[in-house]
Amino acid sequence: MSGSPKLDRDEVLKIARLARLELDDAEVALYQDRLGRVLEYVRELNQVQTEKGATVKHIPRDAVSIREDRAIEFADREALLNNAPAQIEEHFLVPTVIEQS
Amino acid sequence: MQLKDFSIERVLAGYRKQEFSPTELATVYLDAIEANNERLGAFLQVDRDLVLAQATALDSRRQEVNKLPLFGVPIAIKDNFLVKNWQATAASKILKGYVSPYTATCVEKLESAGAIIIGKTNLDEFAMGSSTENSAYFPAKNPWDTSRVTGGSSGGSASAVAAALAVGSLGSDTGGSIRQPASLCGIVGLKPTYGRVSRFGIIAFASSLDQVGPFGRSVQDVATLLEVISGYDRNDATSSRAIVPHYSDHLKGATLKNVRVGIAKDWLEGIDEEVRKSFDEAVKLMVKEGAKIVDISLPHSRYALSTYYIIAPCEASSNLARYDGIHAGFRADGVTDLDSVYFKSRGQGFGAEVKLRIMLGTYALSAGYYDAFYGQANEVRKMIQQDFLTAYEDCDCIVMPTSPSTAFKFGEKSADPIKMYTSDICTLPVSLAGLPALSVPSGVDSQGLPIGLQFIGKHFEESHLLKVAHKYEQVRGPFPHPSGVDY
Repeated sequence: MSGSPKLDRDEVLKIARLARLELDDAEVALYQDRLGRVLEYVRELNQVQTEKGATVKHIPRDAVSIREDRAIEFADREALLNNAPAQIEEHFLVPTVIEQS
Repeated sequence: MQLKDFSIERVLAGYRKQEFSPTELATVYLDAIEANNERLGAFLQVDRDLVLAQATALDSRRQEVNKLPLFGVPIAIKDNFLVKNWQATAASKILKGYVSPYTATCVEKLESAGAIIIGKTNLDEFAMGSSTENSAYFPAKNPWDTSRVTGGSSGGSASAVAAALAVGSLGSDTGGSIRQPASLCGIVGLKPTYGRVSRFGIIAFASSLDQVGPFGRSVQDVATLLEVISGYDRNDATSSRAIVPHYSDHLKGATLKNVRVGIAKDWLEGIDEEVRKSFDEAVKLMVKEGAKIVDISLPHSRYALSTYYIIAPCEASSNLARYDGIHAGFRADGVTDLDSVYFKSRGQGFGAEVKLRIMLGTYALSAGYYDAFYGQANEVRKMIQQDFLTAYEDCDCIVMPTSPSTAFKFGEKSADPIKMYTSDICTLPVSLAGLPALSVPSGVDSQGLPIGLQFIGKHFEESHLLKVAHKYEQVRGPFPHPSGVDY
């Protein structure tokens, strides 16, 4: 690895937006560097000649087993709801989604 | 009572001879953890009440010691596993306070076999890391030298067993997260074949790679634990229906005679000199026992790091989309609309390495890049797998070092992601191929730090792999304990 394959600030912000991550300025600078370095490194794969669609011979995997379509009751609804940061009665509580104009 | 000498068999013998009761033994372990955890940071949660409730229940079932393979044996569980009523944070702030509503299948199997869950162990956040420095809470420390890392991501599970704070433990291995910390902490750690153990109830990281496996201080203990946790589970579509052999019984009469051991010479480049020396000595020992060395070639494994760091982040970015600040765990303060719940909760709840990997995956999967990154990486992955399958036409197992170096100092590799990722160059190809592999201590370096030897087997042939490793362990002779462990 040599040089500084930094990503543009806008590019980092775009990826963060797609990933639903709010980053502060210091983080944006950090990821310009770190994302850039890793992406630069992994680009070596472009040199590999692959046979598209090649299948690997004889990995002894079971035939994909399709299980019976049977619903199983999960008894402890309360335990699931209790882990939510906010809940009301039997619901997850979120801020208003539909804006009033 | 010396905890450092406690194997599974020794614990069971103690119960049979009425040397102690489950409650008495559990109490000794709880006290030892309390006395040492500040020094080692191995456990994220130890709950006396939860432990003693299990032990008390076993006190009245003493006659079952001959039926249950893990009766009253204290086992530690990595904190990305769900165990009902225990926390499961995956060492992330985003899951702080999360209480497991149910128990992972593999842990249920341990419980049915009589094990006592002694605590939840430290890890790199969401199992992303090679040093356990990425824990959002505190780093785990290596019992051999507490100024050094345990390896990772299952560093707490490795540290706990090396320091005799548990007889065995469970970890998860996505790219080396069981084998590399086992190597750095001087214990045995096994990553089974992909599909051998159910992942139901394990917090997902990279689903085409994640696998559960055991740590122990001997191959025998690891074989017993594997036997208990393996098997089909309707809740994990990738779990295999292949019969679970009696791994621990199969160790009897193990031999290295005429075992064809594959070595890929080009894989040994970049390995530290002392690790290389220990590897060479181990190979010599195996040859003396009758093993036949076969030169093999794994030409595409040189691309394993790049392949892994595309595939794993892609899958992680998808798996970690579920942490939304709504269903479970952390929600940022002062959020007024739905978008800010997502952006702020995730931005503040995830640590630096996790965010890096989510963004890597998001980038690689985004429109216009998918084929060039994820598509190409999956093609190269097939070539890496095929190299192994071709090599196995001429050999029965493959050996190589587990880690290119022994335990490194805190902070030594954290500034440069590629430098840190390189800690796993010896384990990544095996993970991409879905093969079983285990690390067994082979010696110590000039600073007294343990070195691990990696044995790699064929798909679903853990039985043979364990036999070979067990025989090697026998001819190697007893392995020392870390110097601080005198209890």
